Amino acid sequence: MPGTQLLMTFPVTATSHSIADYRARGGYATLMKVLETKTPQEVTQEVTLSGILGHGGAAFAAGRKWQVIKLDDGQPHFLCANADEGEPGTFKDRWILEHNPHMLIEGMLIAAYALQVRNAFVYIRGEFDLPFRRLQGAVDEAYAAGLLGEGILGVDFSCDLVVYRGAGSYVCGEASGLLSSIEGKRGYPRNRPPRLTVKGLFQLPTVVNNVETLTNITVILAMGAEAFKKVGTPKSPGTQLVSISGHIARPGVYEVEHGYPLKKFLFEDCGGMMPGAKLKCIIPGGISTKVLTAAEIESVTYDHASFSAAGSSLGSGGMIVIAEGTCMVRLLQVLLRFYHHESCGQCTPCREGMGWMHRIIDRIVAGSGRPGDIDQLYQISRWNDGNTICGMGDAAGYATIGILDKYRDEFEHFITQKRSRLDGNLEVVAHA
Amino acid sequence: MKHLIPEFERWKARFPKGFESSLVLPCVRRIQEDRGYVADSDIDGLVEYLGVPRMQIEQVLSYYTQFRRKAIGRWHVQTCRNITCSMRGAERLIDHLAKKLGVAPGETTADGRFTLSTVECLGSCGTAPVVMVNDTYHENMSAGKIDALLDGLE
Amino acid sequence: MPEIFINGHSVQAADNQSVLEAARASGHFIPYFCWHPKLSVAGNCRICVVQVEGRSWVEIACNMPVTEGLRVFTDSDLVQAHRKMVMQFLTLNHPVDCGICDKAGECSLQDFHYAYNGTPSISHEPKVPSTKFHDLSERIVLDNERCILCSRCVRFTHEISKSCALGIKHRGDESLVRASEDGALDRDPYSDNVIDICPVGALLSRQFLYKARVWYLKPTPSVCPGCARGCAVNLWHRKPTWQLKALDPKQNASIARVTPLENPAVNGPWICNKGRDLARIFERPRAEEPMLKGKPVELDAALDAARRLIAAAKHPVALVSSWGSNEELAAFAKAFSGRLAAFVKSDCSPEPGEPIEDDLLIRADKNPNTTAARGLFGDAPAAFPTETDLVLVWGEGFPFAQLPANARIIFLNAYLQPENGHADVFFPVSLQTERAGHYTNFEGVVSGFEPCFARKPGVVDAEAVFAALTGTPKS
Repeated sequence: MPGTQLLMTFPVTATSHSIADYRARGGYATLMKVLETKTPQEVTQEVTLSGILGHGGAAFAAGRKWQVIKLDDGQPHFLCANADEGEPGTFKDRWILEHNPHMLIEGMLIAAYALQVRNAFVYIRGEFDLPFRRLQGAVDEAYAAGLLGEGILGVDFSCDLVVYRGAGSYVCGEASGLLSSIEGKRGYPRNRPPRLTVKGLFQLPTVVNNVETLTNITVILAMGAEAFKKVGTPKSPGTQLVSISGHIARPGVYEVEHGYPLKKFLFEDCGGMMPGAKLKCIIPGGISTKVLTAAEIESVTYDHASFSAAGSSLGSGGMIVIAEGTCMVRLLQVLLRFYHHESCGQCTPCREGMGWMHRIIDRIVAGSGRPGDIDQLYQISRWNDGNTICGMGDAAGYATIGILDKYRDEFEHFITQKRSRLDGNLEVVAHA
Repeated sequence: MKHLIPEFERWKARFPKGFESSLVLPCVRRIQEDRGYVADSDIDGLVEYLGVPRMQIEQVLSYYTQFRRKAIGRWHVQTCRNITCSMRGAERLIDHLAKKLGVAPGETTADGRFTLSTVECLGSCGTAPVVMVNDTYHENMSAGKIDALLDGLE
Repeated sequence: MPEIFINGHSVQAADNQSVLEAARASGHFIPYFCWHPKLSVAGNCRICVVQVEGRSWVEIACNMPVTEGLRVFTDSDLVQAHRKMVMQFLTLNHPVDCGICDKAGECSLQDFHYAYNGTPSISHEPKVPSTKFHDLSERIVLDNERCILCSRCVRFTHEISKSCALGIKHRGDESLVRASEDGALDRDPYSDNVIDICPVGALLSRQFLYKARVWYLKPTPSVCPGCARGCAVNLWHRKPTWQLKALDPKQNASIARVTPLENPAVNGPWICNKGRDLARIFERPRAEEPMLKGKPVELDAALDAARRLIAAAKHPVALVSSWGSNEELAAFAKAFSGRLAAFVKSDCSPEPGEPIEDDLLIRADKNPNTTAARGLFGDAPAAFPTETDLVLVWGEGFPFAQLPANARIIFLNAYLQPENGHADVFFPVSLQTERAGHYTNFEGVVSGFEPCFARKPGVVDAEAVFAALTGTPKS
């Protein structure tokens, strides 16, 4: 176990996602306690005090986001759980949706109470069919039990929850793209200002939080902010669900207490590398975070400060483990093809830049690289940083610069020798 | 699509007033589930039912990868080609599928049974390589497993 | 009313303005493609960036609210580098069709390239082709390779004309502007405004395609006579210096295109498609000779004949053109008040299929000066008094079959029409393109037009005819 567990505290069975099993684990007791003993403002205070940072990748303090909502503004407020989980390498929210959906619902109800939200949404990516059916089933169970709808638990608090399915667009995982999609349109991200907490869904105040963040709300209100802060580190309280995959022996979803040593996590909890493989580098938190080499992770601990000091970030919690022998040029090619495919096309630097970078790397991989290509990839990456409507342009830039910084020699080899130094391998150890 | 309207009406009740526009994605998905794709007449019907501009629906249909305006094969074989799946054999799997089915990604077999597509990350990297057939994820796939799966489909 | 500082200069901004708007209003130029004063902010082109003092990055100015004491720089090194970057991206796959593109000479991409980049593309990739000459509608051609996806055209149809006829399909660099499949763009009477607001040569007018280079043309301010709104327009025609004998002389006296002339009091920056088609009205075959019962005569002979008819008439009636200018109407009143019973005539009615009226610009009254005419004369009665023995008909559109059978006819008309030969006396008169004048629109706003073409030799100003017939006594 990589440290204290707050979410993955029960064995997954064929029924562990049901309301009966959830109740048996103490489920919905926290909601009752909150509705009986706390005001909405007190809930937000508790969340702020806990110091919890968002688990979607931006690590924005959830309490600070909630505080922007003015409870007395006479406007409808909306709450949206971001279950789009499109960041490659990330599949940890899926664990909550498939095995613990009621904890998400309870956390959303507590949040809806705190923020005076009458209509809440879970935006779930279109491809997640089983998670959708599990979540919708849980929502139906909650309605049947009087936990959603009018007059919840007999109190003067009502909330409707709609599970809204996406249809295949990575930028719908960006908070404003997500809202554009819920409005029934293309998932076009928006410029800020205005912030979504001021003008969000249909131009009304909206809070968008990651699924894991909202699930943690249940935990925070159950154990109290002070107890929550004792888990993890002072700057990164609590835990992180980590989805680990790649050339690792035991891929899957693990709950890692913030501050836990990264090497220990990889080589003990996750069983180390696949047989015959040696660690080359990791992509720590979804492909939009900078790679860390085997040498660089020696003394890194799993928390925001440590990763930042190492020159990367926790991101979405999607860790990809890469073995020696993997061609980083081909790896970047897969990433750039992805960004090119997912660009919404609104703003100039990303729309043109993603296609440009993709065409450059395709040319390199085809054996027609030019000496200036590496500098151009750097240039296009820097040109996107901070100059786009949403973070995808920046993300593509970080991913590219991270790989070029640390594996420039592989790129130079591919360009001058017109072939990969590592046979163009992505699959280092052949699977069955 | 008119026979689906009673279902749409039940969904509408769960949305706040004035959120008709939001119903575009769920209604389009349901229409596609029903017909296999979204026809021009479906667009006309949905415009009339929801009162949204026709262009909004046309844009949505062209923007999202899961929506289609033409029929495809009975079984949509969608193979992830993103990073972890590629690191765990997806590229070999795609080649194998292309040879086995006799089509390139994006095409449908002559008998209309299989359409082969490559897709981006499906959020199942821990069980890579992953193939999504219609709505179902098939995880930890290999050439042998995909053969067994497809051979068992009508 | 916050005070901000642009490049060190104090600027008094208005509440709720963006930095871009405040800069424009105070004479500081910030380039932009996607922003437009009448459309919502898209913020996608990214060229309008400024640098806030103390920050090491740039931000778009079109979406930056003014705040008290804000200090921005519009031309710092970072801003300049950023603009070059945007131009590099925009020209990455741009076909550089300038040699065959109608927009050359009035193209923002050209202008900003020279102003802010001036260097060749650093790309080594072959340009990605896209659709060229796509039939967006009957009137509009779209070249997707030139399109920079600023979305102005899309926003126009959703926010101004409300046809929602345009959108952007697909995504990423495969995005394409397209019209909705139900033909809504063909039915949008304001569709051609997207041609004006397109900052590049992507949206082009089919009727103007390849007709002329814009630098050979001169715009003359005029007023659209298509309805009582009286939108201000520019009539574009060959510059005098280019009216060379070697080039087709018909081109010297024709309207190459019509564009809106911004008038905040009347039409803002828009006109409807009918205004684009003014050549269809003005360039119909013209009458060029005075006539007596169809026989061509000298002007003096026609004037004499007219004087005799007026003097002899006991119950003369006049039908006054609602296309007459304020000046012509005044001259008519001066010449004939008390002598002829004058009534306002509606020269034009809506054609079948023509939009009647809407809440944007189009008015049901398809005549430009009914208001001024009614200020002087009453509306025509249902039927002529039976003793009417002379009718002076001014302007087209009145069916001669409805004139009293025994009445003599004096007819003033610009166009070559069969009725001209039926009149006892016929005068070929000038159009608004051949003289200066004013119209008064339905709200009482007076707008002026200027001449851009010379009258053909036989054509005479109606005003001059009225002056010549002034004070004709009864015999």
